[in-house]
Order: sequence, then structure tokens, then C-alpha cells
Amino acid sequence: MDTTQLLKGVLDLAVLAVVSDEDGYGYDVVRRLRAAGIEEVGDASVYGTLRRLYSSGALTSYVVPSDEGPHRKYYGINAQGRAMLEAQRKDWQEFAGTMGRLLETEVVR
Amino acid sequence: MSVTTDVWDVAEYAAAVRRALVGLGPEQIEDLTDDLEADLAEALADERHNAHGLGVLEQFGPPQDYAAELRSAAGLAPELVEPVHRTAREWVAEPMRAVGRGAHDVLDSLRQQSFWMPVESFLVALRPVWWIARAWVGYQVLTSLAGVSTMRWLPQGLMLWLLLGTAVLLSVQWGRGAWFRSMPLLWLAHVGNVLAVVMLLPVVASVQGQAHTWESIYDGYASGALAGNADTEVVYKDKPVDGVVVDGIQVSNLFAYDAAGNPLTDIQIFDDRGRPVRTTFDNGSGQWFFPETKEPWSFVSRADADGRQRWNVYPLKGAPTSEFTFADDGTHALTGTATPSIPPRPFAKAPALDAPAGSSVAAEAPTPSATP
Repeated sequence: MDTTQLLKGVLDLAVLAVVSDEDGYGYDVVRRLRAAGIEEVGDASVYGTLRRLYSSGALTSYVVPSDEGPHRKYYGINAQGRAMLEAQRKDWQEFAGTMGRLLETEVVR
Repeated sequence: MSVTTDVWDVAEYAAAVRRALVGLGPEQIEDLTDDLEADLAEALADERHNAHGLGVLEQFGPPQDYAAELRSAAGLAPELVEPVHRTAREWVAEPMRAVGRGAHDVLDSLRQQSFWMPVESFLVALRPVWWIARAWVGYQVLTSLAGVSTMRWLPQGLMLWLLLGTAVLLSVQWGRGAWFRSMPLLWLAHVGNVLAVVMLLPVVASVQGQAHTWESIYDGYASGALAGNADTEVVYKDKPVDGVVVDGIQVSNLFAYDAAGNPLTDIQIFDDRGRPVRTTFDNGSGQWFFPETKEPWSFVSRADADGRQRWNVYPLKGAPTSEFTFADDGTHALTGTATPSIPPRPFAKAPALDAPAGSSVAAEAPTPSATP
């Protein structure tokens, strides 16, 4: 199965989860998602998602000056984002449980 | 992509992505890409570390795709207009496609109606008529562009018939799907079809107009040929409503001669019921051409003792039209100094009815000196 298709539905949840651990800038979030095992995510998808979550009020944003490199825009989660994360986490766990049970029975039969 | 990876550095790639985001506002583009160079550079450094130095393009793919991904992930509507240069054909194609889509929508809504299906099958059966019609339109446009002939409903001459036949052959073969299957030719044929639709009415109108002109010229010729010996020039009217008609042609003036053949003036003519016989009804505003004269004449009436304007007194007097002016009340009147005169007579003297004067039979004939 094409996991990029699966990922599209849950990329918001994955990005929220990563940012809720610790604030991060664009490529930093990509790197942490990959490190967590979501290899096939596209860079641009993550940047766009960050932008959209920020626009919808789920994330805060601030610029961190850097001495050696360019200034980076960091994203952090806020209360609204946390509420969204909790709701989506619950939905996902229920859905994953349902799918798991379905696939379990398929295998047994 | 044929572009070598060396050509692209991070800045160029980021610029290409921004260009591909055209359609968004500058602020939105800035929002989406303000960290792009830094992210790209960091990602590239990371991947190079892991994957033996991939180029920017190999790493991130075409900038257009990257921009589209960025855009859709950010929840912005995908762009409708291609940012890449549109070819001339696309400029033509886009409006045509829009028209095509509109037509399909209309057709779909019509097909919902129960009355439509018989109508549509009837129209489909008429399709070959259109194939012929568009060939005819194409033929008319071609010949008039080439200045080959005046526009007529049907060609005159073998060459023109061959041209029309070729046009019909091409049109029908295309309509049947037999010819013009390759894309460029199909395109040409489509453009031709649309042009034929657009040109159909103008062509029919101008052919109709020309045919009408030809008919009236022919009518004029037919009546003009018969007027060869007429005293006066006439106005060609299909059916004279009133007036004096000789040999089917309206007469403008009458010339009277006495029995000895001498011209008479101020002759009043009435019909058998006492009605004045008039030749002209334009009250002096018309223009009349006489044989051998270049300038048209207009006529004036003659006032009688009671001051009434009489138009049945012959020969009508008149003057060249250039000596007339339009009065303030709209009537056509001679200018002050000009005096009306009798137009040129067809002949100064007509053949005498009787034997020359002095013979015994001339008892009742007026003597020539009796005429004024």
C-alpha cells in the first residue's frame, strides 16, 4: 500500500505530535518525523502543513536569530493546538483499534 | 529534466519555486517560503551526508511539483493557470475549451428534458447537410478572398465547380471521420468548422444581396433595351402605379403635334372621365434624364387662371436640376433667375397627317400659323 496516501490523512496529527514534544523550525520537523519512521513524507508537505496549522491558530510562531546561519522561524504548540492534538489522537487510536481488530479477524479466518 | 544539477543551486531552486507559486499574493508567497533557502540548504546538507551528494533537483524534484505540494499542504487552492509559458495554441485552445464545456453543460441539461431526444436524433440526421453547407461557405470565402468571382449561389464555370466539389469532398470525408485524423490537421479542421459557423450568416447575406443586385440590373437592362427609341428617359419601376405608360415604360413628358406636324404647346390632357392625365407625380422633386443629355431635368407645373398648379399641361416645362433649390417648406423650386423651358423635343416636326397645305382636303385642318 502507498503509505504517502495514508499519511495525507494524518500528517496534521503527526506534525502536531512532533511540535508538542518540542518547538521546531521547518526542516527540523521534517527530520524528526523521518527519525520517527515516517520516511516518505515530503519536505514541502511538512512546511505547508506547519503554515496551515499556524494560520488556523493551532501553532504559535517566532523567529530565532542565529549567529552562524540564517534566522529560523520556530513553531510551537498552543492550547488550541493541544486540544486539536488530543481530539485527533483519540480519533486515530479508535480508528487504528478498529482497523487492527478488523485485520486481526481477517487473518484468523 | 534535461537541466544538469550543477546549474541549480539552492537560491535558484527557491526562486523557481516562488515563480511557480504565481497566482498567490506576494505576502502568501513570502509566508510560505520565507525559510525556504535555509530549509533547502539544511536538507541538502543532511542528505549529502547520508546519500553521497545529490543535486537540488534530484533531491527535491521539479520546482513546480515542490511548489504544488507546498501549496496544497498549506490548504491553498491549486492554481488554475499554468505558470509555465503558454504556447500560442493554448491561448487559442483555452477559450475554445471553455466554449466546449459550456456547450456540454447546455447539452446535458437539455438531455434531462424528455422532448430533447427526438430533436437531437433529428439534428444528428441533418449532419450531412451541415457538411455540405460548411463546404459551400468555405468555397464562398475562398473565392471572394481570391477575388475570383462575384458571389453567386452556385459556381459559374468548370474551375469553380471543381473548387466547390473539392471543398465538399474534404468536408464530408472529415465529417465521416475518414480523413484528417492527425492532431495538427484535426486542429485546422476544428478551426475551419468554427469559422464556417461564424461566417455562414454573413456569406448568405452577401450572396443574397448580390443576387438581388444582379436581378435589378437585369431588369433595368431588359426595360432599357426596349426604351431605345423612347422620347424621354424613364424611371424604371416594376409596376407603374399611375401615369402614362408606353410599351411598359413610364413616360415623363408628352409632345403634341398638330395635323400639319407642327409642335404644339400648352396642351391640356384629360382622360375619358375628365381626370387630368399626369405623367409625373414627384411635384418637381424628381430627376429625369433625356436621351443625349448629361444633366437631369426637373419639371415645374403650370399655373392656370385660378392659380391652381396644373401638371397635365404638355409639354411639361422644366430646367436642369442644378437650377432648382429646395425651398424652406421643402418644395423643389426654381431659383429666382431661372425660367423653365420646354425640354428637347424628340423631333422638331412630325409627319403631316394630310396632304401639303393648299390641297382640297385641308378644309378643317388648322393652318400652321394658327399655332402659337
